[in-house]
Amino acid sequence: MMPQLVTYRQRRRDGRWLRLYVPVVPLALLLSPLLLVAAVAVLVACLVFRIGPVRALGGAGRLLWALPGIRFEIEQGATVVLVHIT
Amino acid sequence: MNEQHREILRMLAEGRITAGEAEQLIDALEREQPASKPRPKYLRVVVKWEDEFGDGPGRVNVRVPLQLLRAGVRLTSLVPPQALAKANAELDRSGIPIDLARLKPEHLEELVEHLDDLTVDVDETDAKVRVFCE
Repeated sequence: MMPQLVTYRQRRRDGRWLRLYVPVVPLALLLSPLLLVAAVAVLVACLVFRIGPVRALGGAGRLLWALPGIRFEIEQGATVVLVHIT
Repeated sequence: MNEQHREILRMLAEGRITAGEAEQLIDALEREQPASKPRPKYLRVVVKWEDEFGDGPGRVNVRVPLQLLRAGVRLTSLVPPQALAKANAELDRSGIPIDLARLKPEHLEELVEHLDDLTVDVDETDAKVRVFCE
């Protein structure tokens, strides 16, 4: 399943929480012109390094599809940072 | 297929037991074995430490889907041969004679498959590290 939401939570030293919810699909749509440029750059890099673009695309897709479920938490004293991809 | 099943098939192939006896043995084995536990989906790393003088105790909790590891090892097949040659030369120069070109994605995938049973526990007086699959 493609990642849908990236959640970022941070508890500051003063105890206040910062919460960011980043919807992946709308953000990707918003950044689609930049992603198109990046895709062309990747295609050129594949041709330069003689890597099959289809295989590279497949590999990147598998990696992207495997991202949901990642959870990263770090806690030090009163500070907490949590990143979760669903 | 586990070792006991393999042993039964070997006995059958050697003619030490008949096909009917082999079937009975396999049935008996399957009755004995409890239902297989679900396969783990995540690799988890938990680190806890005590810090009396600094910012206090801390904790790191990382959960990585095993599927991500599998996807990552498949990407190794995309590494260009010239990069592998350079990496091999550097490794050789550092005294590590490993030929990365002989390391195939299927070998790495096999390694990831066997991570299921991995558990690492490190206990120190002021820190604990735990790596396991869940």
